[in-house]
Amino acid sequence: MNQAEVSKLVSKLRINVPPTHRKLRSPKGPEGRIDKLRKTVTGLVKFERIELNYNRADEARQYTERLISEAIRHGDCHKPTMDTANFWLLEKELIHKLFKVLVPRYETSNSSYTRLINAPKPQYGRNIDKVVLELKGNPFPDLINNNTNNKLLIQNVLLDAAKQDYRQSKINEIAKNIGKTENAPLNESSKKPEAPEKPVES
Amino acid sequence: MIPRLPHIVQLMKNVERNLFHMFGYPPKELALAYVHENKPAAPLKKFSIKDIVGDGFLLAVPKFRRTIEKKLKRKFGSPEYVWKMLVPKNNIKVCQNCGHHHEKGRLCEHCYSKVKAETEEIQAKIKEKLGINPIEHDVVVLYKGESLPDEPKEFWKGKRIIEMKKERPQWFSKNLLQKTTQQPSESTDVKPTDLA
Repeated sequence: MNQAEVSKLVSKLRINVPPTHRKLRSPKGPEGRIDKLRKTVTGLVKFERIELNYNRADEARQYTERLISEAIRHGDCHKPTMDTANFWLLEKELIHKLFKVLVPRYETSNSSYTRLINAPKPQYGRNIDKVVLELKGNPFPDLINNNTNNKLLIQNVLLDAAKQDYRQSKINEIAKNIGKTENAPLNESSKKPEAPEKPVES
Repeated sequence: MIPRLPHIVQLMKNVERNLFHMFGYPPKELALAYVHENKPAAPLKKFSIKDIVGDGFLLAVPKFRRTIEKKLKRKFGSPEYVWKMLVPKNNIKVCQNCGHHHEKGRLCEHCYSKVKAETEEIQAKIKEKLGINPIEHDVVVLYKGESLPDEPKEFWKGKRIIEMKKERPQWFSKNLLQKTTQQPSESTDVKPTDLA
């Protein structure tokens, strides 16, 4: 067969890519859509964390992932990749960032390069799905910061100390009763024969 | 006997009336003064809608009955499109970090607002520090009083170190046993202070 292997032509992305593209409303038509996405991709690479509408974010995410994966695959000496980067990054200093900062950052990663998290919906106002789109490994504080399993969380430290105290008191109690428990079975055994006599008397 | 009874009642009434007249009761001044006359009945006019319409004008009124379905749709909306009823939300969760409520599958608004403010501050700082230089190095953010973590010197060679001129926010720290950034209060006032 003369057919080339698809996996060698296109790098596989680590995110779900829908079979059809999303139409973004623009007076310029499909060209305007690409313009919008170029702006978003540039912004994402520049700021590393942006908040925007879901549709545009999800669409721009795919292009960013593709761009980074191509950059990792081919490096900066590959002309088509360079042209792609030149097309998608409107601010040209970001091409340097792509190859010098992002490629080393993601070379060894096994997961996707971007993260898409739903932003809180305003209680009153326009009902628009907002999301936060970010590059992984950014220097900003984590969006999802679940410390409940952290051993160093103050509640967990206090609970651990309370558990230890309780266990210690129980152990002390058992240790105190060790001497008494030896006598207790003797008393019980002496009482046992008396017990059946009582019902007989009544 | 029964046919005679009304006659007797009438007789009794006559006697009664005569007795009252004899003692001058009721006084004649109180007697009604009017002349009874039988007016001829007015000729019945046939009702015509033109009498009402005439020179006036009519307001717009519904021409046809609104169906029950339409009435209900207007009142309650449609569950598929716009449902106007107040429906309890079952997707509210309590944030594990701050205890505020947030929608399931979304960020907590309270936590996110803090993260957003801090992120914007760091972004502004990065932009200010970078100026017009090309972006060639990764960024490391250090807060006031923090030193470089123990890493080999090669690790720090290609890094832009951004120093924030404030202490690390408590919620941003990885170790919650370390010192808090909140200063201990020395005031003895009990809030609210303006009550007495």
